Amino acid sequence: MAKNRRQSEDYVTPVRRILVGLLVLGLFAVFLLWRIDSPRVERFRAQIVDAVVPNMEWALVPVTKAAGIVEGFQSYARLAEQNQELRRELQQMKAWKEAALQLEQENAKLLDLNNVRLDARLSFVTGVVLADSGSPFRQSVLLNVGARDGLVDGWAAMDGLGLVGRISGVGEQTARVILLTDSNSVIPVTIQPSGQTALLRGDNTAQPPLEFIENSDDVRPGDRVVSSGDGGVFPAGLLVGEVVRGSDRRLRARLAADYGRLEFLRVLRSHPGEVVEDTGGLIVMNPVLAPVAEGVPAEATAEAEQ
Amino acid sequence: MIDPVTLHRWVLAGLFTGLATLIVFARMLPLDLTPGGMPPPDAIVLLGFAWVVRRPDFVPVLLFAAILLATDLLFLRPPGVATAFAVIGLEVLRARSGFLRAQPFAMEWANVAVVLVLMLLAERVLLGVFFVEQVSLGLSVYGLLVNLVFYPVVVGLSVWAFGVRRLAPGEHAAEARLG
Repeated sequence: MAKNRRQSEDYVTPVRRILVGLLVLGLFAVFLLWRIDSPRVERFRAQIVDAVVPNMEWALVPVTKAAGIVEGFQSYARLAEQNQELRRELQQMKAWKEAALQLEQENAKLLDLNNVRLDARLSFVTGVVLADSGSPFRQSVLLNVGARDGLVDGWAAMDGLGLVGRISGVGEQTARVILLTDSNSVIPVTIQPSGQTALLRGDNTAQPPLEFIENSDDVRPGDRVVSSGDGGVFPAGLLVGEVVRGSDRRLRARLAADYGRLEFLRVLRSHPGEVVEDTGGLIVMNPVLAPVAEGVPAEATAEAEQ
Repeated sequence: MIDPVTLHRWVLAGLFTGLATLIVFARMLPLDLTPGGMPPPDAIVLLGFAWVVRRPDFVPVLLFAAILLATDLLFLRPPGVATAFAVIGLEVLRARSGFLRAQPFAMEWANVAVVLVLMLLAERVLLGVFFVEQVSLGLSVYGLLVNLVFYPVVVGLSVWAFGVRRLAPGEHAAEARLG
């Protein structure tokens, strides 16, 4: 019996070695395929995630909630301390509320004076965060909204306060949001009030650095960072965070979004703006529809008549 | 009637799959999304290595490769590369498991460390050749160190919690045979 096995092993070992070799070759072939035809493989990846993660939702959600409860109990222990802190903050907030009310009134007046219309097309879809990327070096989350909700790659995702990331990879029921802290994330931003433009490049830390600032003397810690809308990547004016000086003396952005607890994200439906393709297009977008020299647009005439 | 040895192997392969699923699940929980902090160890690879050194017949190479390829796809890594090198590492350790049986744990740890370092180097070189964007070397070395520190933990768990032990000489001679 034992002898038989020993003999059969002599046949098994080389065959097995060849099969393992083939397996490794196959895996490299998968990598090559990914390198050559990345979009197709990434779509396949999105489909796999789409198939796997919603099935795990029943388990993911209770565990996440349970962890939240444990965290809640831990915070009960610090209740008195927290209460003091909250009172103090409330005082400050009251002062801010007054300031905000006054500013709101002022803002409303100014908007009225300028006859500004906000972009009505800027609506949003809200999704629940299903899962983490699971990899220590990639910062992304999965949302439970996808192509069936009309999501498109490149749209911006925010939590209640600030920009969180952009959609990259849409499945039927899920979509992946690459967070601003991911090392592949680069977005154009404007620093207010100086109006300097910069790039916010994620580097796997909580405070991504600001790069290519034209004149960094004009930028101070505490300035607001908002998306600039350059390159049509994002709608302009979404709050990103504020400037801080990092421990390495570089200017970094402290993100406004609360990355510690991302639960719901709103995905902004953005629509591609007008694109100027050549120099002529800058003057006359569409020669057929362009108003002739003496022609006043119909609406303006109607308003004038009233 | 199923041969008890075969049954044991199937149960352990099932246990390996279950543990891998659990690890993937735990890593996908959206608990804290602030970046930084310690990268989690590549627990599936470590588990596979710890088992294959002790019982080469408990980690079928196809199962190992399939699980890792699935995690590559789920975790946004370049698919196939890390898996291929992990499979090579697994087979190297499988071939050395006979030698390692007689050695103390420190020797096994050193062997696994060398395999992990070579896997990381090979992966970085290959990705570099194909101009794939990679994380900085510092971060991957940090991840490697975490893996090395966690290896004894994984071994301890495997031995005491799951009963994956080396066979004493003469014990179930049939079981010790390579599967």
